[in-house]
Amino acid sequence: MSDTAVLSVEGVSKSFGGIHAIQNVTFEVRAGEVLGLMGPNGAGKTTLLNLIAGVYRPDSGRILFQGKNITRYPPHKICHVGIARTFQIPQPFTDLMVRDNLMVAAKYGNKRGVTLELDEILDLVDLLKQKDTTAGDLATVSLKRLELARALASNPTLILLDEVAAGSTEAELPRILDITKQVRKMGKTIILVEHVMKVMVEAVDRIVVIDKGEKIAEGTPGEVMEDEKVLAAYFG
Amino acid sequence: MKIPRLTTLAPIAVLVVLALFPLIGIPLSWLNYLFSFFIYLALANMWNLLAGYTGLICLCPHAFVGLAGYTLAIGTQVGMPFQVGLIAGAAVAAVFALVISYPVFRMKGIYFAIGTLVLPEVLKQWFNYWQPVGTAYQGGGAGYSVVGLAGFSLENKYWLALAIAAAAIFLVYIILRSKLGLGLTAIRDNENTAASSGVNIFRLKLISFLIAAFIMGIAGAAYFIHNPKIQPAGGFGISWLLLPLMATVIGGEGTEEGPIIGAAIVTFLRFLLADYGAWSLFIQGIILVVVVVALPQGIAGLLRQVGAYHLPQKLYQAAKARIHRT
Repeated sequence: MSDTAVLSVEGVSKSFGGIHAIQNVTFEVRAGEVLGLMGPNGAGKTTLLNLIAGVYRPDSGRILFQGKNITRYPPHKICHVGIARTFQIPQPFTDLMVRDNLMVAAKYGNKRGVTLELDEILDLVDLLKQKDTTAGDLATVSLKRLELARALASNPTLILLDEVAAGSTEAELPRILDITKQVRKMGKTIILVEHVMKVMVEAVDRIVVIDKGEKIAEGTPGEVMEDEKVLAAYFG
Repeated sequence: MKIPRLTTLAPIAVLVVLALFPLIGIPLSWLNYLFSFFIYLALANMWNLLAGYTGLICLCPHAFVGLAGYTLAIGTQVGMPFQVGLIAGAAVAAVFALVISYPVFRMKGIYFAIGTLVLPEVLKQWFNYWQPVGTAYQGGGAGYSVVGLAGFSLENKYWLALAIAAAAIFLVYIILRSKLGLGLTAIRDNENTAASSGVNIFRLKLISFLIAAFIMGIAGAAYFIHNPKIQPAGGFGISWLLLPLMATVIGGEGTEEGPIIGAAIVTFLRFLLADYGAWSLFIQGIILVVVVVALPQGIAGLLRQVGAYHLPQKLYQAAKARIHRT
């Protein structure tokens, strides 16, 4: 881990018809770190991911990736510069086979010259045996992993994980943690949105907490958990 | 003994046999029906490329057909050879597709469908009044004849239509096995995921749309070489939409063989119902509804379900087993 910022979110705001979904949020993601994005339901975590991923354009503020201003990039260009994302509710290419789901990202998303072994990615997320299965036939847990695999297939520098553990049983958590760690070992920088506190505390280096669209705290898991504003936001 | 590769040999054999038909003296009415079949086949294949593989429910094939037909007719009126008019017609259809792409691609799903549906109506009205050259054969700037076709026999027209249909099928075959096909299928399955996986949705939809407009245009122009009179009501008539739509839906949307099966059925129905006028539309409508309700995947979907495609292999193996026993 180094101190150089891979991604800088600078004073970003977004409203939807008078509702301030994100207000003046500023934070940095450093190369190689896992940054947790935490907050109560409806705090604006997914909106923030969508702003970074180019799904929404901020009303004000800017987003820099490796020093480049990517604020008004459409989603496919965000992927081309090296940011991949997963969806909270899995969004597979239902009629394509599992391996072809990855192939789309590999052929269209990977503009950085390195060809990846898709089978290795599938093996990492325990989907290698199901590579010729139609994605629509997978169970929900497998679909969550397919999200991650597809994101990896575009060979990103930064990967946005929207609740990979949600809907998993307690028994499955260690494996998910393990996968997250391995992704990190591949040299990827990660922003992790997560509700499952165990995953958050064990997997991340730092946490940014947002509530009602505003950043209320930032720091190591230990610091954040003792922050009064955070406790107030979660427990009232 | 190895089984000959049926999948590569069969289409070539069918193509050769079809190409030989005019030479072995089959009835002229057959050639006429086969000509229609080839035109529908080209249209249905392109409609399937858009609806079945790109997720674009395009309700304006009649805009492409009409524009190409009028370009051909007006072109030949001002002295263009009809071969040039054929290509020019297809090119005009593609340019029209390019011009409308920006506004219509901003709409998704059903809104895209409705947005495209109004376009041919606008063109129909326009061509009711517009008279670019002086010799409209009827009314005030409405109908035109395609001229300069002397010497281009029915056989030639038949081969032209066959070539267009074969090209359309081959083109879809190539596209589906290319990077473009993968991207298009991804868009059809999930636009958000496709975009966030790096697929430039606008560009891929546009490529697919332009290819379809060009081929639909050339198929339409070929039709007006065979039936060399065009009026706004016929050229921009809704049957140019209904035929490929019915063929694709009945045959099986999103399958390669679907439009071929469907186009054959639609042509055969036209032959069966030729004497019933308006009733034929009614009957075709009922068939369409029955297929949509009973066979949502079309006939190709049904054939896949019952495993009909493995039948030749099974028969071959059964025969081989019997030979071994005796």
